[in-house]
Amino acid sequence: MKALVYNGPRDVSVNEVPDAKIERATDVLVKITSTNICGSDLHMYEGRTGMESGRILGHENLGVVIEVGPAVDRVKIGDRVCLPFNIGCGFCANCEKGLSGFCLTVNPGFAGGAYGFAGMGPYSGGQAEFLRVPYGDYNCLVLPLGSEEKENDYVMLSDIFATGYHATELAGVRPGESVVIYGAGPVGLMAAVSASIKGASQVMVVDTHKDRLKLAEQVGAIAIDDTEGGGVDRIMELTGGKGADRGCECVGYQCCNMHREEVPNLVMNNLVQTVKATGRIGVVGVFIPEDPNAKDKLAKKGQMAFDFGSFWIKGLSIGTGQANVKAYNRELSKLIEHDKVKPSWIVSHELPLERAPEAYEKFDKREKGWTKVVLKPGK
Amino acid sequence: MKELIAYDDAVDLLDADHVAVKKMFTDDNAVCEKTSHAAVKRILALATCKALTIHSQIEKEIFYLQVREAIGEEALMDIALEEHAEAKAVIARIEGMEATGAASDATATGERVPISLKARNARLDLRGMMLPLLKRQQQLKKKNAVATATATATPTAKETA
Repeated sequence: MKALVYNGPRDVSVNEVPDAKIERATDVLVKITSTNICGSDLHMYEGRTGMESGRILGHENLGVVIEVGPAVDRVKIGDRVCLPFNIGCGFCANCEKGLSGFCLTVNPGFAGGAYGFAGMGPYSGGQAEFLRVPYGDYNCLVLPLGSEEKENDYVMLSDIFATGYHATELAGVRPGESVVIYGAGPVGLMAAVSASIKGASQVMVVDTHKDRLKLAEQVGAIAIDDTEGGGVDRIMELTGGKGADRGCECVGYQCCNMHREEVPNLVMNNLVQTVKATGRIGVVGVFIPEDPNAKDKLAKKGQMAFDFGSFWIKGLSIGTGQANVKAYNRELSKLIEHDKVKPSWIVSHELPLERAPEAYEKFDKREKGWTKVVLKPGK
Repeated sequence: MKELIAYDDAVDLLDADHVAVKKMFTDDNAVCEKTSHAAVKRILALATCKALTIHSQIEKEIFYLQVREAIGEEALMDIALEEHAEAKAVIARIEGMEATGAASDATATGERVPISLKARNARLDLRGMMLPLLKRQQQLKKKNAVATATATATPTAKETA
């Protein structure tokens, strides 16, 4: 089969690799029809993780079931399924509680597994023609009839829609509240949509990319351009000097200042400043325990200078971590089915798998207009 | 009172031990960055080497032996044993020299996850394997403690001269 293979920093290629296949009785084999490039793929693409060369990337996957293992009950051949990026077993202590992003079974020695992701187990990614899905009955979200027409919407359930929603859950967004979201990338934009779904009265999105801020405005958010560094003041002005009720971090450890220099603590400390006393912050941007290639000494060890004094004195609280996609994807899919949301509005490019290397390059450079790429293997 | 076992299974136990040994390496490096006392560095390096030796030994003697039989993937298990042998060579080198720095991180990690995962997926009594692992670990720790005490108590030729 053809697959997008990571060869090394900023070097990916579409290669012929052995076909994915059923390996265990509980597996499902999926023919991938849509697979996105995620912002977190770029951490690996840039060589900022321990990703091994030769591995297949891709954790935002959707496709058609073509084979099921003998122990699979529910999922049937021909089902169109969306796969949460995190792989869970369904029976460990965390999966039982709905914390499928922290499965204790699938990646021994670590809580959590994923497709084609550094440190998240040996599972191949789905930027390929076929994907092996472990514990298929648990991990496949079977899509409703007619889902083909909204495939670019449903594929967002695999990660970014659920992750954006998770940011608002971690932040505890409630109707009528104000929310500041740092990052107008795909996850930040989905957090803005999610905050609106939850009835937030004021959704402010901060970024330095004008094309992305424009998308935030399209969903009714207040776009705050931080290019000149006045973002914090603007939020305080919009909230009468109090700060927002809730804050969402949708950027991660490679956040940059206005000069495009990496400043890992910038967004976290801006959130401490811009969320009101007793407010809450949800952090879904990726942070890692070690970043040997970072320039900053603390960042090399996965640490940052955090304004804990201000955080404490304001009585703020925080929630962190990757989204437990299975906790939300069923309900969020109903919103798509009933035309309440249309996450595909952020898709900027729909490309065949063969053009994935070019897409990685453009997306990594944050070239204007490259917001979200959906790859279509087999087209 | 009967002591309770805090681990879920043998994989969980070995993972926890692996993390503990890895932390010793990290802590050693941190201390060695701050101190110039060769004796302190040597004590830390030797303690870490001993912990890694015990970890590798119980993994090899009990876990790998049973996993090899259950999964039948000889090549994968051979690679894991090669990594153990490499770690052993590094340990021997550190133990044999007048160390001035921290022990290098010789923990074998490359094949660890695939083997752990395959072990979990195999028809293998991983919960039943915990007791022999713990028993052997305690036995080796005790033996090591006695050896260390004896070495400390025995004056060297230089000291007796």
